[in-house]
Amino acid sequence: MEKVIITIVGIVAAVGASAFVFIGVNKVFDLAPRRWSLFSSLIGGISSLIVFGLLWGNRLIDQPVTVTAVAVLIGTATGYALSRSSSPSIHLAIGMTAGVLLGGLVGITVKPEYFPAIEPVTLLLSVGVGLGLGAAIWVARGRRTGLARPLLLWGSLGWLFGAWLFPALGGGTRVEAVMAAVVLGVGFGAWVGSFPLPDHIMRRDIALESRKYIFLAPALGFILMTLVLPLIKTMYLSLLTGTPTKLTWTGLTNYADIATDPGIIDFSDWTDIFTSRLLWVGVVALLVGMVIARFSGRRLGQTAALNGGSLSAIAFGVILVGFAGFAVVRGTISNNLWWIFAVTIFSTGMGLAVAVLSDRSKGENVAKSMIFMPMAISFVGASIIWRFMYIARPPQKTQTGVMNFVWVKVGEWSNSSTATTVIVILLGLVLAGVLYIAWRGNRARMPAVAGGAVVVALPLLWLIYRFLGPGLGGFAVIEATGQTIGQPILFLQESPFNNFWMMVVLIWIQTGFAMVILSAAIKAVPTELIEASRIDGATESQVFWRITIPQVAPTIGVVVTTLIVTVLKVFDIPKVMTNGNFDTQVLANEMWQRAFTELDFGLGSAIAVVLFLAVLPIMWLNIRRMQKQRAAH
Amino acid sequence: MTTTNQPATVGPNPDALGSRVKGFLGGIPTWILWFFVVIWTIPSLGLFINSFRTKDAMRNSGWWMFWQDSANGYGGLSLQNYSDVLGAEATGGLANGLLNSASIAIVSTIIPIAIAAFAAYAFAWIEFKGRDWLFIAVVALLAVPSQVALIPLLQMYSGGAHLTMPFIDKTLTIFPDLDLAGTIPAVWLTHTGFALPFAIFLIHNYVSGLPRDVFESARIDGADHFTIFWRLVVPLSVPVLATFTIFQFLWTWNDYLIALTMIGANRDAMPATVVVASLAGEFGLREHLLTAGAFIITVVPMIVFFSLQRFFVRGITAGSVKG
Repeated sequence: MEKVIITIVGIVAAVGASAFVFIGVNKVFDLAPRRWSLFSSLIGGISSLIVFGLLWGNRLIDQPVTVTAVAVLIGTATGYALSRSSSPSIHLAIGMTAGVLLGGLVGITVKPEYFPAIEPVTLLLSVGVGLGLGAAIWVARGRRTGLARPLLLWGSLGWLFGAWLFPALGGGTRVEAVMAAVVLGVGFGAWVGSFPLPDHIMRRDIALESRKYIFLAPALGFILMTLVLPLIKTMYLSLLTGTPTKLTWTGLTNYADIATDPGIIDFSDWTDIFTSRLLWVGVVALLVGMVIARFSGRRLGQTAALNGGSLSAIAFGVILVGFAGFAVVRGTISNNLWWIFAVTIFSTGMGLAVAVLSDRSKGENVAKSMIFMPMAISFVGASIIWRFMYIARPPQKTQTGVMNFVWVKVGEWSNSSTATTVIVILLGLVLAGVLYIAWRGNRARMPAVAGGAVVVALPLLWLIYRFLGPGLGGFAVIEATGQTIGQPILFLQESPFNNFWMMVVLIWIQTGFAMVILSAAIKAVPTELIEASRIDGATESQVFWRITIPQVAPTIGVVVTTLIVTVLKVFDIPKVMTNGNFDTQVLANEMWQRAFTELDFGLGSAIAVVLFLAVLPIMWLNIRRMQKQRAAH
Repeated sequence: MTTTNQPATVGPNPDALGSRVKGFLGGIPTWILWFFVVIWTIPSLGLFINSFRTKDAMRNSGWWMFWQDSANGYGGLSLQNYSDVLGAEATGGLANGLLNSASIAIVSTIIPIAIAAFAAYAFAWIEFKGRDWLFIAVVALLAVPSQVALIPLLQMYSGGAHLTMPFIDKTLTIFPDLDLAGTIPAVWLTHTGFALPFAIFLIHNYVSGLPRDVFESARIDGADHFTIFWRLVVPLSVPVLATFTIFQFLWTWNDYLIALTMIGANRDAMPATVVVASLAGEFGLREHLLTAGAFIITVVPMIVFFSLQRFFVRGITAGSVKG
């Protein structure tokens, strides 16, 4: 109960404080046109608060509370005094007085370890450079205002550098500190005092023009503090090595370590690819796809036609060949590429399939929201859900995970002659139906239907062969007795395909994402276009491949790039499912382990930089696309 | 007489067969779609059912056998797992974790939405030099993985951020050492920063499409930017603000990486995802609690999702569909 109250208080405080600051600043600037005195006083007080807050935060002054309070009072009074007079000389006097007071305040209270040891030459040079810069800027701006103001500002900045930043701190005396601070204060005070009292038009402009800074400042400030500066710092950290408290410069050592780490990419077993069944089945699928493309192309008088049949066979072949490659080349980089390959292909492909199917099905909305639902679940939740799917128990026991239950059950069936007969008859009937469709499609001169049916028929044939011949599913034969027992797959432990079973989780989540976007894009294809092509005699499949796909192609590009970024960032799934064990490491998890488990900030940063470099091309694509859209408006 | 002279058709006539085949083929999309739906639902359904079963039942039989649990002597379905996992002793407090999640998600949703709405308005309707360039730079950050910022942010929260000026060798503190590491405010700040590029992008897309006349007539009437924003832009942008709210709420509620990094080992401040993931780390010991825990962290986003799906979908498509 106590915790509930603390939580609520925390929420209200955080939200309230942010709202107060933000609305407060806007309200202050609203005052400018009508109540200039109040505005001027508030600005004076707030400026002092910011300057002395910075000194306070850097622990440069003694008794910061009192000093800051006094400074705010002086600032407020100065602001008020400036607003009550329009005489330039009085303005100048007020500004300089305030400068003396505030500078003196700093000089008197600054901690001895920050007393500057002033070197006259440095100081003179610095102020000289400042004045020179001021004059140069004045010339560059077309000499519109008086020369005094830029000289005052840049001379003071020169003094700031020459008196406080260049010399060694802690070596000087209190007198030097007071002098350094007072002169600085007078310089800046004179600059402030050199501004005339604004008239009505200027006051309104101040209220109006300040608004863009106020509106943008919090957003840009947050982005700078949490994204841009940390990104730069990470790049810097990646060149250091050591414990978090003691990092030393070692140049590109971390990157060399990444490149030479045998766990990062390992080609040693690549020759195994030639004995991989995946590769050869994939090659066969590619050939079948090409043959179908050629045949259906000839009917249309083209070299080759891409349609449902040829394309699905070719895609299937590409996937298998890719998997064969990733299965023999191991390592973190290879895993990452495999993730990108599998998740983008499957999520986009299935998302597109579901989007197209649902466009012409009953219960479209319900079906779509069921498939989209995993998008709302956390990656942690999804990983746990799938761990239960993948549970493997010892062969003697009942399998409690869905995947192994099915797998072992299929094994049982393929060893029982009754079940095998039933299944083969059922498969045979489906096969006959599919072949009939192929025949009709061929007669009706619809090569896509025919080709598609042939592609469906091939795996059916393969299934029949497996059931009649070597058997299918999870079983093992005990040599001594000749009995068979169920043999589950250790989905998350058996390398290299445990990687794929983890990708399934992300595919399960991201298919909904691809579906929603592609579905919207398909519905946005102009109906006139489709109707016109139908009137011209295009078949359903031609409409799809010649009209719909080219129209949604840019959207497919967006989906693919978004998915690649998501996949590169994937951390939760490997972390929760295997924590990178069993040969399943990916860059994001590797980075986290190095940086936060082993506290090797240098190496962790280097891996993060590698991740950043990997998304750079996508950032570039996004920028290009946005510029095009802006140009189109 | 009711006899007919027409000969009875023997066997189906070819046309009828054709149309029947066509009808069957026309039904195939629906069948395949619903096949997908069933496959997609099974995993969550399994977790949901298992979360009501006893430890023994879960270990010894699949969730699809739940209706025989009592008959098999495992004990029937109950809410025991839920009360166990929420109770503090068993898990280090999922109830506590849920409160932390709520705190993280609510604050990290409200603050960025306000900040981003102002910035989006400025980018859309205030003219200034370098506006397009700045906007593109902000939105380009959308693709940056959060991993690149984690180490410096954690350093900043635990020791402040200090800028050492080159050549002068003086260090200036730009973010004070507030000792935020391991606390919820650290997560708030991080989420707020990371959310802004997307939030600005999404809200800008909408706000920039509002009719120009509205702004011009308001300005002629003497309204300043703050009034225009408050009286015109906010009420007109409710749909996109709702979209972002839902998006960001789900995102922060479901987040694991940022909370795990920033909270570390501080059990008091851990959100529910971190608590449940740590339960998962000891898989096998308390898997019956894991099901209930996973379902609890999943049910909040599911409720939000199913009740406000419209806005969620709009958010996803707005960012991606061309035009």
